[in-house]
Amino acid sequence: MNTKIKTLLEQGQVAGFFAYKRIHGVWYPYLFTKSELDQLEPWQPFKSRYPIAKLLLAKARQNPDQTFGVLVRGCEERALREIFKWNQLDPNRVVMVGQACTEDLAQTCECAKPFPDQLNYGSAPAGVGRQRRVAELEAKADGERMQWWLSHFNRCIRCYGCRDVCPVCFCTICSLEQSDVAPTGKLPPDTSFHLVRAVHMAGRCVDCGLCEEVCPAGIPLRALYKKVNSLVADLFDYRTGADDGRSPFTFLGDESRLPAGLR
Amino acid sequence: MANSFEPKILAFLCNWCSYAGADLAGVSRLQYPPNIRVIRVMCSGTVSPHHLIHAFQKGADGVLVAGCHIGDCHYLKGNYMTLKRITFVEELLRFAGYDPARLHLEWISAAEGIKFAETVRAFTAEIRSMGPAPTFEATPRLALSA
Repeated sequence: MNTKIKTLLEQGQVAGFFAYKRIHGVWYPYLFTKSELDQLEPWQPFKSRYPIAKLLLAKARQNPDQTFGVLVRGCEERALREIFKWNQLDPNRVVMVGQACTEDLAQTCECAKPFPDQLNYGSAPAGVGRQRRVAELEAKADGERMQWWLSHFNRCIRCYGCRDVCPVCFCTICSLEQSDVAPTGKLPPDTSFHLVRAVHMAGRCVDCGLCEEVCPAGIPLRALYKKVNSLVADLFDYRTGADDGRSPFTFLGDESRLPAGLR
Repeated sequence: MANSFEPKILAFLCNWCSYAGADLAGVSRLQYPPNIRVIRVMCSGTVSPHHLIHAFQKGADGVLVAGCHIGDCHYLKGNYMTLKRITFVEELLRFAGYDPARLHLEWISAAEGIKFAETVRAFTAEIRSMGPAPTFEATPRLALSA
């Protein structure tokens, strides 16, 4: 990652660049500035994943007049596009440089598109189309599926890890922290905690899978959000994270494709 | 005991159309079952999924959301959001294993007292035939057994 990123920093096109730095053999996200160019290492594929879009968003909010660069994977590119569409960041103030994921990372993540459209490093591995767990769940009877979900929601310790790591959870005030709608001091939290989060993920979730990775209770959140994504595609004909189109819940009005059978 | 089941139905009515429609049904002396508990909201578009799912969790057997007809919204386009949201929540409830027929969206204008009474009658009958809603709350006990 040293040539292209170095050029961007040297020419002053970006004030800082979010890339990765190896510390004790592990890749960590790091904000490189012009004075640290010599610390940039040549790019090589690695498996560590971080909510780098979220780090960028936090930094960009503090410095609204500066342009930042970011090294993105496929999911992170989709996340940034959603952040642009939800008017949280100015697309002109972000320079994306893309890296492909490795074949086995794509398999582990069950990722449909493990590479960004803007691909600068690595070669694109094949995407994984199957949604194993969603299909398994849909095969269950309704009552059984509800018990399955409740048995998982039960383990929630309300750590907000899923929300905090989510690259598209950009709100500064979270409804899940409002004691009127999500009472505090109650464990496990109400079922609505997860389902409302799922509703908020409609037209936002980019299927990066970080929520499920960080969940200390191992709640299969990704199956829920994968379903959310396919519902958004079916009901509103919108592909979350796509370059074009508008996320159905970002605007009022009939410009959106309304569900069939208008009442 | 099955025939002693009286459904509890929560109704979110928009201030400008449906609540006035309910009012008209009242002053017109139209009969409808007393199973609904009405919450007046300024726009059906303000009904958050928090409210809908929380209602089911607290034991509502059905939730009715009623607002102005498309194009008649006092806030011009608030009910487009209602339509998008309710459609989405219905499908999400289905995936969570909860019967989405317990959530009902209807457009009722201020002049449609008859439609209001009919909607409540039909929805109450439907919920009555479906029986009491299953518990939709995660309890620690289930966690131990799972």
